[in-house]
Amino acid sequence: MKYLFILFILGYNSFLWAEEEASYGWNVPNSSLNIGGYLDMTYDQKREDKFLFNDIAMLFSANKNRFDLLGEIELSHISLNGKSNNNSDIDVHLERLQLSYTLSDKQTIQIGRFNSDIGYWNQAPIPILQDTTTKPHIISHLFPKSTTGLLFRQNIDEQNSFSLTLQNNKDIGHQDNSNETNRHFGMTYYVIKDDLSWRFSMGRYRESSDVSASYMGISSEYDGEELSVEAELFTQKSDKIENNKPYSGYIQSTWHLTASHDAVVRFEGYQDNTINVQEQIYLVGYAYRPTNNIALKSEYIYHSKLPLSHFIYSFSVLF
Amino acid sequence: MKKISLFLILFVLGLSSRELVVVGDKNFHESNLTRFEIKSIFLNKKRFINNEKILVMNHPVNHPLRLCFEKEILGKTERVLERYWRKAYYQGKRPPKVISSTKMLFLYLDSVHPAIGYSDFNATLDTNLTILYRVSCNNEF
Repeated sequence: MKYLFILFILGYNSFLWAEEEASYGWNVPNSSLNIGGYLDMTYDQKREDKFLFNDIAMLFSANKNRFDLLGEIELSHISLNGKSNNNSDIDVHLERLQLSYTLSDKQTIQIGRFNSDIGYWNQAPIPILQDTTTKPHIISHLFPKSTTGLLFRQNIDEQNSFSLTLQNNKDIGHQDNSNETNRHFGMTYYVIKDDLSWRFSMGRYRESSDVSASYMGISSEYDGEELSVEAELFTQKSDKIENNKPYSGYIQSTWHLTASHDAVVRFEGYQDNTINVQEQIYLVGYAYRPTNNIALKSEYIYHSKLPLSHFIYSFSVLF
Repeated sequence: MKKISLFLILFVLGLSSRELVVVGDKNFHESNLTRFEIKSIFLNKKRFINNEKILVMNHPVNHPLRLCFEKEILGKTERVLERYWRKAYYQGKRPPKVISSTKMLFLYLDSVHPAIGYSDFNATLDTNLTILYRVSCNNEF
């Protein structure tokens, strides 16, 4: 009985003193709720508001048994005078609100508004998680960035999985510059082999303007100790304009020079017949991460056709 | 002479490499796991086994056991893992629970099912834990 008591005390204290991995966010005591967020500030000489808080967002997550909740609420494009998108009313919008349920060891179903399960960049589309401040053209132009609907994910084995996306309703989030979608059917097949992984995605969606389009593409990612490479290539066919976006793709390499210094180059190419543009975009950048959750970035982005070449600097934090 | 040389070689090898074992609680559903399965569990890609949520435990950063585990099982360095968990946090995933000692690991394994962690093989000799995977390490624990 005495030993049982000692064991209990030991066990109890062990549970109390067991520490979580150095993590992000704040864990609400005696609950599974974690609250955190991120902010991203940019300086862009080409813009009217040179200094801009691109995003200030709150992230929250919680889990209970087989349920997982994840939310992201965002304030975006706030200038130093406190205006959001030139409007004095601060624009708060719901970026993600998703509830997942684990059906079995290998199956998960998710409902809500979530980042569409397409490609790699779209899974982590915020600057603090990326090596550059600017996004490739492919994001927001070739497929729906977000989906409000259902996602079913099946792990075939440890290296192969696929997901099915279904939306047949209005978007519950903020109507940003991305394609505003009210219908989306998609499929992604995912293969992983050590540091190298592949994703093949295809689907069809309808924008609020009642224009339907199909997309298809392949993405690959290599994440090594000293070098990371990410590449995506997509095509889109619209019902309205034939052969409207025959291709858009990028390849981005990041050299992890030291634990906190990264050099990055990106090459993009796209053809968009809706605006009659075919161009290449080149990017050279540098990222400094003094700690895990802070990034200072600078980059020069050169457009071969459109007058959009510029330097951009950013400061971002994940908390 | 040959026997003495062989003994010396084995002795030196024995000193320079230790065995790390991935262990589950005594009622763990599987008797062994593949490296890919362990990797999926520790990277929070596989969270359930036989429909039960797994408690996953890790040693502190720079612990010799953890360095060996990350190299031999996860196949990733600390820098790559930092990048991984940064993105995973945004996707609502959490890293494994960090325990401060092998003693604490065993206490958890005794009281939680299903639970998984890893330890020096020698430390598991007098326990009834389920050995799921073994790997040799070049560093000392």
